[in-house]
Amino acid sequence: MKKKKHLKLSIFLVLIGLTFSHGQIKLKDTIIEQKLDEVIITATRTYRQLSSLPLPAQIVSQTELKQANRIRLNNILNEQTGLITVQNFIGGEGIQMQGLDSEYTLVLIDGVPLVGRSAGTLDISRVALGNIKQIEIVKGASSSLYGSEALGGVINIITENPTKKGFKGELNYNYGTFNTHDTNLNLDFKKEKYSIGAFVNRNSSDGYNLINAVDVNTIDPYTNYTFNTKLNYDPNQNTNLYVSGRYFTQDQDYVPTEEEAGRIKVNEWNAHAKLHHTYSDKWSSYFEFYATRYKAEDYLNTVADNSFLSASDYNEILIRPEIRATYNPNETTSFIGGIGLDYETLERTDFNIDPIFNSPYIYLQYDVDPTDKLNLILGARFDKHSEYESQFSPKAAFRYELNDKLALKGSVGYGFKAPDFRQLYFDFSGFAGYTILGYNTVTTRIPEMIANGEIESENDIVVPLSVFEGSLRPENSVGFNIGFSYNPVSEVKVELNVFRNDIQDLIDTQLIANKNNGSGVYSYYNVNRAFTQGLEVNTSWKPTSELKISGGYQLLFAKDKAAQDLFNNGEAFASVPGSPSFQLDENDYFGLFNRSRHMANIKVYYSFDKLNLSTNLRGTYRSKYGLFDTNSNTYLDKYDDFVEAYSIWNWAVNKTFYKNFEVGFGIDNIFDFTDIPESEFDVVFIGNIPGRIIYTKLNIQF
Amino acid sequence: MKTIKFLTLLAIFIGFSSCSNDDDDSVILEVESETVLNLFAPQEGGMDQMGNPIPVSGAFTKFDFSSGATTTSETEWDIAFRGTSIIINGGVSYGATDEPERNGNAAAYIANGTFAGVVSVNTSNLEQDSVNGYVLADWYTYTGPPNHLILPTAGKVIVVRTRDGKYAKLEILSYYKDAPEEISAEAAANDARYYTFDFAYQPNDGETTFE
Repeated sequence: MKKKKHLKLSIFLVLIGLTFSHGQIKLKDTIIEQKLDEVIITATRTYRQLSSLPLPAQIVSQTELKQANRIRLNNILNEQTGLITVQNFIGGEGIQMQGLDSEYTLVLIDGVPLVGRSAGTLDISRVALGNIKQIEIVKGASSSLYGSEALGGVINIITENPTKKGFKGELNYNYGTFNTHDTNLNLDFKKEKYSIGAFVNRNSSDGYNLINAVDVNTIDPYTNYTFNTKLNYDPNQNTNLYVSGRYFTQDQDYVPTEEEAGRIKVNEWNAHAKLHHTYSDKWSSYFEFYATRYKAEDYLNTVADNSFLSASDYNEILIRPEIRATYNPNETTSFIGGIGLDYETLERTDFNIDPIFNSPYIYLQYDVDPTDKLNLILGARFDKHSEYESQFSPKAAFRYELNDKLALKGSVGYGFKAPDFRQLYFDFSGFAGYTILGYNTVTTRIPEMIANGEIESENDIVVPLSVFEGSLRPENSVGFNIGFSYNPVSEVKVELNVFRNDIQDLIDTQLIANKNNGSGVYSYYNVNRAFTQGLEVNTSWKPTSELKISGGYQLLFAKDKAAQDLFNNGEAFASVPGSPSFQLDENDYFGLFNRSRHMANIKVYYSFDKLNLSTNLRGTYRSKYGLFDTNSNTYLDKYDDFVEAYSIWNWAVNKTFYKNFEVGFGIDNIFDFTDIPESEFDVVFIGNIPGRIIYTKLNIQF
Repeated sequence: MKTIKFLTLLAIFIGFSSCSNDDDDSVILEVESETVLNLFAPQEGGMDQMGNPIPVSGAFTKFDFSSGATTTSETEWDIAFRGTSIIINGGVSYGATDEPERNGNAAAYIANGTFAGVVSVNTSNLEQDSVNGYVLADWYTYTGPPNHLILPTAGKVIVVRTRDGKYAKLEILSYYKDAPEEISAEAAANDARYYTFDFAYQPNDGETTFE
């Protein structure tokens, strides 16, 4: 009932918007579209107009971030079409794009990657938005430029560089529900030849508790700080030296049960230097050096007598030198090519060695307009690797303008995700007696376990050791995107994209041997094949300079191919505990966990220019999805328990006083939607939606 | 309702066909179908309070298809339960503590299908317990944290050749006392190791169908 009310209200609000703007649109004919087209760098690693791009891409502008009062990366990405943040079972929030898990989306800051995927998920809530110029989202396999992880797409967070001469500062403070404080300080100084910028963010929260039955928080209290300084030096018109340092530190309580308590500390730094020189109209080059470290440590003590229970640590380093060059022989042709090296190390609890990865790579991209109406991009990258099979990743894309209003675009590309350290080197024995081994450790550890009696004999080996003698193959995919963009009038934009990702060699954990204690030895190897396919529609309408309405929709089918075969062949069954099994047919297979068939969003932005006031309403909808198998067949079928469909509505208003002061107020999740567990043992619930959040904001520019 | 009607009709039909067989020389016995509720299969050991594995021990609960009941007989049993372990009275010991002596010629396999859908025995699939493990090891799914439930994997029907060459099929419905649909935390902790299962027993010698 509650949900229906939301829907009615939202339709009402949208109708108000529509009626209102209808009145306005007639007046608008004479106004000339003056906004410059948005420029994106992520898609081609060269500056391109977003509208001319043959790839599906989106930009979230600083204006949108500020008007919506978003403070962390996960908040804003959740409002974009086809993107959803999914909670990892140990708490991190990763991004799902085109139905692919967060392992398969590369996340960059200013073109260089964030690391620290301790269990596959990169927690994007650690990225503060206070100094962000724009967020660029490119969908579809992009390994031809970016190598590993860019299988589903790339998210690139572009930070702001000082733009105006002189000194400039900004202080922003946001306070909201759950005692959440967020403070930003930006200081910029720019002169003729150099600029320097500093950014500090402090973010803290008391966390929240959805599981009211027990004395354990869903999200534990935390405090974190982000520091970022940037230096730009232009000794002459053709040369730019850029140096950036970023540091993030977080301290969080860690209370998994009532009997245990500890802390989790995260420390991350990124150092990035880039020298760009333009030699002529045709040639330019970049020398780039990037190093980053992500370190997480936690410990647990007993609550009763504070005695030590457990501790673990994770310390990952990536160092990447890269040289790249651009060559533009004429106005319609451009090349970009690069050569570089990834050097990665990891020290981690439960690893039997400290592994080192070395991966040199080379890439080249050719971008050409053979005619006025056609744009083609051809690119490829080769990644050589010390620990797994080397990868060749090609990509091709086209955009064709049928006329001024309608353009077709399409692309096909290869994407891969390298096996992570854990999948290769893990050597972990759990409390319950089981053992998990990384792929590369199996051939030495299993014979050892037989020798020391943990495994009775070779007869207990379930998967032959020969399977583990080669190299683990990277998970890989071929991604197809085809669609059009349509601008019937300058105020209206419609974009449609149909996508399919064909994924193979997915790495899964499987039982490989039986242990003497009745438990098993598990390891990772390439088994699964899956696909995600669907379509995405984005529309926007800007009837006046004051009003903008946009809407987006994604339809998604994400399935495991082996599971689909089982259902098609009538070999899949389900049962309710205590009752006999029944047979399932092909229509009963829902697909992969945590995927919604329908996701939609609508945003209405309105600014009363005369009042210096802007307001907006943003709604997102997600259809039902499954989190776990609940009827004993390991698959998600239509008889399983699902998380019900829901919608979330956020509202914000901001008013500027005396030019430099801005006050904001907003409510996230107006209707206080939560899906809390029905009991301590209910696992089908939503952990990352805490309910209504009311906040205020103060922003001072000086 | 439809199913019940259908089953009634089926039962009458089967009844009639078996009646018509009464004219034959040999006496054909009807397939016996029953539900066994709360067969208790306790074990000792398994794991200490810190979660460290310790050897499992304790007597198996033995079951005899011909009587459709549990038994303490050393010889007159077909299948036996202890915790999640199920052994058959055929083959050789895996070496676990307190396994009863196998003195019959039982064999078994796990068929994929519904209970009703398994209409005959594929004798080429039959295997006996061995030093490598139990034939009937793979009947359940462990749900892992936070609930740690043992749930019978859907679509697994255990097909058994009894110690004396008859055939039976069996579907485990629950591992918890009174076969609840919602297994509470208390039930998971205190009421485990109670098997509820449907079985059908074909009492006619060498007959491999269940109809």
